[in-house]
Amino acid sequence: MFEISGLSFTYRAYGTAAEHAPVLCNLDLTVHEGQSILILGAPDSGKSTLARIMCALVPRFVEGDLEGSITFQGERIDSRGPWELTDRCTLVAQNPQEQLLMTTCADEVAFPLESLGVRRERLVSSVHSALHRWELDRMMEVNPQELSGGERKRLLLAVTDAIGAPVWVMDEPFDDLDEFWRAHLLSEIEKKEGTVIVFASRYLEEFRGSFDAYYLLDQGVLTAGDEEAIVLAFDRVSDVQFSVKSTLEHVPEHDSHTLVAQNLSIVHPRRSVSSTEPFTLRTPDFRIASGEVVALVGPNGSGKSTLSRVLCGLDPSATGSISFDTAPCDRRMLRSRVGYLFQNPDFGIFLPTVREELGWSLRHVPALAEEQREQLIEKTARLFHLSCEDNPTTMSYGARKQLQAAVYYILNRPFYIVDELDSGVTYAAAFEIVSLLRSRGAGIVLITHDSAFARNIAERTYTIDNGVVKERRLNV
Amino acid sequence: MKSPVPEKMTALRIALMAVLTAVVVVFTLIVRVPTPIKGYISLCDVVITFAAFLFGPWVAAIAGGLGTGIADLIGGYAQWAPLSFVIHGVQGMLIALIARVGVKQGVPGDAKLPAMIAGGVVGMIVMTGGYYLAGGVLYGFEAALVEIPLNLMQSGVGLVLGIAVAKAVLKAYPPVRALAIH
Amino acid sequence: MTTSTFVAGRGIVYLLDARSKLLLVLLLCIEVFLPISQIGLWVLFGGVFLLAWHATGFKQAIQPIRSIAFILVVMTLFSPLTDRDGTGLLFIGERLILTSEAVTNLSVLVARFLSITYLCTLYVWTTPMADVNLAFRWYGLGYHAALVLTLAFRFIPFIADSFRMIQDSHALRTSVEFEGRRSRRQRLADIIPTVTAALVFALKSIPYTAMSLEHRGLGRREKRSSFRQLKARGGLFTQLLVSVMIPTVFWFLFTTL
Repeated sequence: MFEISGLSFTYRAYGTAAEHAPVLCNLDLTVHEGQSILILGAPDSGKSTLARIMCALVPRFVEGDLEGSITFQGERIDSRGPWELTDRCTLVAQNPQEQLLMTTCADEVAFPLESLGVRRERLVSSVHSALHRWELDRMMEVNPQELSGGERKRLLLAVTDAIGAPVWVMDEPFDDLDEFWRAHLLSEIEKKEGTVIVFASRYLEEFRGSFDAYYLLDQGVLTAGDEEAIVLAFDRVSDVQFSVKSTLEHVPEHDSHTLVAQNLSIVHPRRSVSSTEPFTLRTPDFRIASGEVVALVGPNGSGKSTLSRVLCGLDPSATGSISFDTAPCDRRMLRSRVGYLFQNPDFGIFLPTVREELGWSLRHVPALAEEQREQLIEKTARLFHLSCEDNPTTMSYGARKQLQAAVYYILNRPFYIVDELDSGVTYAAAFEIVSLLRSRGAGIVLITHDSAFARNIAERTYTIDNGVVKERRLNV
Repeated sequence: MKSPVPEKMTALRIALMAVLTAVVVVFTLIVRVPTPIKGYISLCDVVITFAAFLFGPWVAAIAGGLGTGIADLIGGYAQWAPLSFVIHGVQGMLIALIARVGVKQGVPGDAKLPAMIAGGVVGMIVMTGGYYLAGGVLYGFEAALVEIPLNLMQSGVGLVLGIAVAKAVLKAYPPVRALAIH
Repeated sequence: MTTSTFVAGRGIVYLLDARSKLLLVLLLCIEVFLPISQIGLWVLFGGVFLLAWHATGFKQAIQPIRSIAFILVVMTLFSPLTDRDGTGLLFIGERLILTSEAVTNLSVLVARFLSITYLCTLYVWTTPMADVNLAFRWYGLGYHAALVLTLAFRFIPFIADSFRMIQDSHALRTSVEFEGRRSRRQRLADIIPTVTAALVFALKSIPYTAMSLEHRGLGRREKRSSFRQLKARGGLFTQLLVSVMIPTVFWFLFTTL
């Protein structure tokens, strides 16, 4: 099916003195018809790039240098446009927002079938049955923007289903899905008579034994191996096993602050048309002190972001109060004391270089002389593995997350709320970011839906159960 | 490994026009700045000016016209939709055409400041004049005078911020130049 | 952010085909500028208003009036300035304030403006956007242009949500201890970073959208099929005929020629 040899790809560098390192480096891969293969790779290892190259979408729409040869079913992949592959190879993107095109779920499934010229009767029945198989019947006329993350992923899978192409290239397809749907997807992959290529960065125990071939994508090269060897190598690469608690340093003497939220009740807006009516999120007692790492754990849609937005002063709460150092705090004061690192790091980026982004955070700090400012900026950049002259919008996702953390580090807030840090960066990188933020004495609230990650990194954990936020001891 | 450019243009152009149209809609309906004179000005003209400077006449015309038209439909001013479509469409197109004077083919982002200002001023006249004429026909030319100050202010702010934002985006996001050629 | 222009309701207007309704609205909107008597214009407005009332209820039906209330007030206030040479109607002492021609003129303008407002608004309330799009295509709008329209609607909620988050992110980042209320100038200065970030965010999604379009088959040589269809009850030709007949009858009843 796919014959890839000597593939190298380097993203074009903008505004830097240095060029980017190649993402893929002399990569070889042969995929035979009917094979199902699993490619494990840490975040930013080039999985999405490779997936898109295999569907002839890169470098067509992304500037970069590509070398080597890729053939699909014997033909060079770029010999004609990507539309030639519509009925032969389907890509499932990691982020559904990248692929969604239409204003209703039915239209989303119908669009590729319309492109293929499928006749109307068959088209309509394909749409209905695909949505039915992924339990999205009720969402037929619903706007995909109103669906939850998991539902959007299922919508992409329904589209893939309806097209019925013999080859599937799936980039982190199990992300966002809950247990039931992950099992369902796995069984679909196993049942499929065509070729399936799955990229993943979390090796779930659920995959065990399901694939024909296993690969590790690391440093731009693919290494083949049997399941055990590849999984072991992957764990090493992403530093999954680490014991954090003992290595969290004792916080040097800083001013110690406390943030206490009591008797909060917040109206949690309906996140998706399929979820229940708006409910009230109650927080009887939530507290954090300087230097602590506290986790807030709960499934998607349980209200973690809702509570966070109130804690950092963005939203009001209906009742209750939040105190900083035992003095009640209004929303404006909260905003200047509690930083909130959004899951998407791109919400704050607008300047041409890392240096300017870091410098912008310092403009309100009057006490710094020019030279001190520059030193602080450079030191911060080094701490977060950033190059001062890099252009933020074209850095890799992991680097943008580091920049986001660096911007807040330099702001030196007493408390930070970090939203879903572990998705999109390696555990090791996440741990490092938390340590760095903590090193200036800040208290950190980590939002995650991964309780294993929470166990490893947090001293205390709050969970959200039926709309109530409670401190909980997670089973060791 | 490059495909012929004309094909590449279609999907990118469609995506570009659609996204910018949506940005205009959002800026018209959500992004509003209070003014000393009663009322708000919307920042839609900032986006139209921005699109004109960076992407040329057709993209600016579609984004401006379609965007403000859709915003009128959603906002409860359906009767204005066809008029906004024409007025802001022409505004976008003219700003782009004038701003490009003296710019070589293929790099619209490098428009010169005097040309940008001239284009912006023409845009202000078109927008204010267009709404004045339309208003005049719809509800009398005397009554239509009332909206002129607000429209002038809105398009003026659009011009100033449009220039600032265009420069900022070019520096912050260099890949935009590749989009600009299409 | 809701992008829906459709208002659920009842009545014959919902049953009419999007294409014939479009023709009817267009013809009537043109007709109100032709020589029609004042009474005719008010009858037209009255009729459309009653249809709106029946379709969506009174509270919804008066919304358009509320949205143009300011302009109606301005029109009324400015009427003493129009038609200064005419038969006097209102005097203060010896000064002519208002002529009867001005009142007639005002009445015509108001009825016309209200009619156009209600015709367009009722069309949009009773026709889902997807149908409007199909109607445009039937009248000749190219597929790519219609696709731009659909895609724009897909992006509006996405960009609105991300804009709000970008605003929040900047508010948090620029929040300073002991600041007091931000001056208007500071708030304006904050606009450029927010707008820049929002535009960059939007621009970044363009290549991915183009990728998805081509990956899902835009550019293939096959003739596209269509999932959605417009069906006119009683036949499209009949409905179009009715759409032409109504303005024609209206013309003969109320023309001043």
